[in-house]
Amino acid sequence: MNGREKGILDTVERYYKDYGLRAKDLSAEGKKVIGYMCSFVPLEMITAAGCIPFRVRGNIHEPVTTGDTLLETIVCPYYRSCFDLSAKQKYEFLSGLVIPHGCDSMVRSYSVWSYSLPFSYFHFVNIPTVCAESSFEFFGAELNTFRKSLEKFTGKRITDDDLAQAIRVHNEYRDKVRALYEFRKADPPLIAGSEVTRVLTVGSSLPIGEANALLDQVLAEIGRREKTLLKKGPRLFIDGACIDNIELIKLVEEIGGNVVADALCNGARDHFPHTDVGGDPVDALARRYLGKINCPKTYRENKAGTFEGDTATRFGDIGAYAKEFKVDGAILYVYKYCDPFGFEVPARKAYYKSIHVPLLHLEDVYSGGTMGQLRTRIQAFLEMIG
Amino acid sequence: MTAYFAGIDVGSTMTKAVILNDGVVASVIGSTGPEQRRLANKVMEEALKRAALPFAAITYVVATGYGRINVPFADAQFTEITCHARGIASLFPEAKTIIDVGGQDIKAIRIDGAGKITDFVMNDKCAAGSGRFIEVIADTLGIPLNTVGDLSLQSKNPAKISNICTIWAQQEVAASLAQGIPIPDLLAGVHRSLTERISTMVNRLRVEEAIVVTGGGAKNKGLLKALSEQLGHEILVPEEPLITGALGAALLGKEMAQRAKLKDAPLKTKERILEEIEIF
Amino acid sequence: MAEEQKEAKPKKRMTATQAAASIGPLVKEFITGTLRARAEGKQKLAYTFIVCHHEEILRAMDVVPVWTENFAGICGAKRDAERFLQRAESLGLSRSLCTYALCGIGFDQWREELGQMPPDSPWGGQARPDVMISTGQILCDPRSKWYQASQQFMPDVPIYNMDLPYPMFQRDQDHRDVWGYYHKYIVKQLRGLVSFLEGQTGKKMDYDRLRELTDLSDRTWNLIDETYELRGAVPCPMGTGDAMNTMVPLCFMMATQTAYDFFVNLKKELEEKVARREGEVQQEKYRLMWGGGLPAWYALNDFNYFNSKGASFPVETTYRMVAPLTKMDIPDTQDPIEHLAWRWLGYWTFWYDKAKKRPGSEPDVERLINWIEEYKIDGIVMHEAFSCRTWHVGLIWQLHQLAKIYKPIPVFVAGKGGTKEKVYRELPSLILESDIIDITSYSEVDTRNKIDAFIETLESNRISKAS
Repeated sequence: MNGREKGILDTVERYYKDYGLRAKDLSAEGKKVIGYMCSFVPLEMITAAGCIPFRVRGNIHEPVTTGDTLLETIVCPYYRSCFDLSAKQKYEFLSGLVIPHGCDSMVRSYSVWSYSLPFSYFHFVNIPTVCAESSFEFFGAELNTFRKSLEKFTGKRITDDDLAQAIRVHNEYRDKVRALYEFRKADPPLIAGSEVTRVLTVGSSLPIGEANALLDQVLAEIGRREKTLLKKGPRLFIDGACIDNIELIKLVEEIGGNVVADALCNGARDHFPHTDVGGDPVDALARRYLGKINCPKTYRENKAGTFEGDTATRFGDIGAYAKEFKVDGAILYVYKYCDPFGFEVPARKAYYKSIHVPLLHLEDVYSGGTMGQLRTRIQAFLEMIG
Repeated sequence: MTAYFAGIDVGSTMTKAVILNDGVVASVIGSTGPEQRRLANKVMEEALKRAALPFAAITYVVATGYGRINVPFADAQFTEITCHARGIASLFPEAKTIIDVGGQDIKAIRIDGAGKITDFVMNDKCAAGSGRFIEVIADTLGIPLNTVGDLSLQSKNPAKISNICTIWAQQEVAASLAQGIPIPDLLAGVHRSLTERISTMVNRLRVEEAIVVTGGGAKNKGLLKALSEQLGHEILVPEEPLITGALGAALLGKEMAQRAKLKDAPLKTKERILEEIEIF
Repeated sequence: MAEEQKEAKPKKRMTATQAAASIGPLVKEFITGTLRARAEGKQKLAYTFIVCHHEEILRAMDVVPVWTENFAGICGAKRDAERFLQRAESLGLSRSLCTYALCGIGFDQWREELGQMPPDSPWGGQARPDVMISTGQILCDPRSKWYQASQQFMPDVPIYNMDLPYPMFQRDQDHRDVWGYYHKYIVKQLRGLVSFLEGQTGKKMDYDRLRELTDLSDRTWNLIDETYELRGAVPCPMGTGDAMNTMVPLCFMMATQTAYDFFVNLKKELEEKVARREGEVQQEKYRLMWGGGLPAWYALNDFNYFNSKGASFPVETTYRMVAPLTKMDIPDTQDPIEHLAWRWLGYWTFWYDKAKKRPGSEPDVERLINWIEEYKIDGIVMHEAFSCRTWHVGLIWQLHQLAKIYKPIPVFVAGKGGTKEKVYRELPSLILESDIIDITSYSEVDTRNKIDAFIETLESNRISKAS
């Protein structure tokens, strides 16, 4: 094995296992690291403010304890874990936290977070649920409110140029992630799904400049791979909300499948859509986050008048990915208590059927302890499509 | 030369083994107990004894069930879903929907006309959604488990059990008993409660006849009647429901050997040692 | 078979007021009214939710609301929701989701599959709508997803989903700095609803009628607040058990003369009871607040159980979806839609200013404190319904924060040197757990045990209260 390859992927492994290592150092240097959850937080705004956006993670191997004394157990289990870790001071290096209107779990627990955690900066960004022209107008105003609150926090103005620059740099990252996904198109893929998830997870913990540099090195390394380390197997697509760890994907790989594409937060959902450049940057951000991110939380009007037309509009990007990455089957991975995804299960199932992609629907809680049950289902699914 | 194939189903409560060539030559249902998983090899040995075969005579061994991983005397492992589907399809060529009512979980499997699985769903998260529910209630009432089904059939007026939590249902049953509700009515109510949940799960697939029920629950006539009523369809049951997993596993092994022969490729086997399973 | 499935009908629940007792036939009339309207086909029927702030618009356009949450609640109260919940589960929907929605979607799928009402549908069933109108923004995710899921089985029925946001309480921000653009958005969304309905009904909005109805609902809001204030009397003349009935005109009949008249009568009845010193409980020992959570609709009898222990419920946060316009400082406007939008914002930000003035407070907590004092409350009961994140997340924290910043109960404790010291304790609280309509989550034995234990705590506070 080439010494350099050991280098960058080793670094990724280190930052993945000791999550927040770099952010801790930066915070000690006096940089303002701002935690966030969910694809809807406009990261460019945080970067433009001179702060570092840091994606808060949970830990599926750590039982929720402290968090339960303050937060009900009926919230999203992933979110519950994030809160538990925060309450246990795992993220004490953060200067603040930004929570968007992603879902009820986030909205309804905002007071719990903002009153019980000791950060000096908290902000809630209200994201519209519908996608009308007036929604973009409203969202733009809401983004400017977010901008003002960051200016107050940092004591520094955020100019339109700052935003334009941040947009450019974040778009670069999105391009690099797209390039990384290209390596998944080979059969078998040149890069494992678990490797991709590790890289993207680490990327969301670094300042965007460093994340770009990391991706450059990773792309170079994978580009140097002459042959893949993976074996041929069923090519799988993972559909769901946020999977911030490699356990599920690793399990699939152990059983003989290759995860080649996804529609996950911390995956294609977050990283594929670009922010438009030129023109008003706040409007561009509003259009990207509300219009381009495809999440069940955003209500897309049924303009077709038929169910088939409706699902094609809502899930068409999945069909495109399935074709592009030559997918053999898909796993729909939904957390218990998740309303946005939960209510879409019948429609998503029907859609996958319509594009002739076999689907395994898994409902899970956020815990390492369920891997045994998942193993049987995933293995049976691979046996079924294999 | 006749080739022999073996299937071993290491379940959560007992291990089952089947040896076959053109037909089944031996089948063994092991005893329950805390050590049964580790001592799965004993069940295999018993099957070999009954078939009068040495272990080396077995061409291919497939393991399935909860304890299928790390079986030192198996060549391959497949899930119970695939194995039950194979086993039932061989016994009932007309089967399209299979329901395995186990002690700890319940599975529903849809197969097409060729015996291939098209969809499946399982519940293994909660005692109230498995055969365990009946066991606990039988225990509460002090009635032997193998009599509850028949007893429930005597009911003229099934009680309504509203609690699905096994623990609360126990309370509810005990309270109802104290109020003088006859045991057959309570049992019928409990069976109905469980089969409602089973049919809710099964209805997530497109149910098509013929429907075959297997697993321990298939020996419970009360459960079968209630399930048949819930689904609105007739139900078929194999003669020995407990071995359909092991049967399917052995058949899978046979198929793999046939496929290898057709391709003129070697059949990949493992170094099998007939010894205890190491439990980590 | 069907008879064996259902339990014996629960006995009619005792209420403290005649007004509350008159609700049953009113609710039944909703359902039969919608079925009649469907059959006659002259009016458009709209599936819709409460707290969408659009009753004035619907009534001005003569659209008949089919309250889907109400129907699910009825299934729950009749203990006949399970078969619809199971139906929804068979579609792939998780039992952990809003059980109102599961019940509704399960029912709709069944009705569409059969081409007629499912057998023995409660009170004749839920009528097939012409349109579906929802709002989820900030309030509730299921409300944005429910009709979308039902539309799979009714693809010819269009949905108008609107955003009615309000600014979240943020300690470093004055809501008035942002509510200008919130207002603008809400107005556009409401005007969008008007256009949608104009298109669907083929009629134009009568803005004079809308203005009248808005004025009527304004007066109803004020009247309800004045009426409920009377419950602060000692003994309390009407409790939460009754309020779970009187929520019907409040939530389902707003902007109608009937609703206004109902509260005129209720107010009169309460004034008379207060004059006679007649309480909802004969010997009132404890005054409790229902501090949060939708009720368990199949277990409203638990309020009577509380009553039997000497506990009354002068006030609840649940379904008190009105606030006095007289105490809101919202801008004046002649345009009824702009006024509705201001009223919406005024309602949701009602406690913000007060919360900012008290260290550690927060609007929901502030409301609890204000009502504890106004209604002379001894203890708080909350209900955690597992399937509803909207109203049940944050309750644990509210009680925790309340206990931290508000300790009104004086008790004597043994101090240093054997002297009696006066310390202040927080209010005792109780959290009950089950669900809104899924009865399988409810244990009457467990619940009543918890209530008994809570009463004992209240009693020990009552007798040891320092003067």
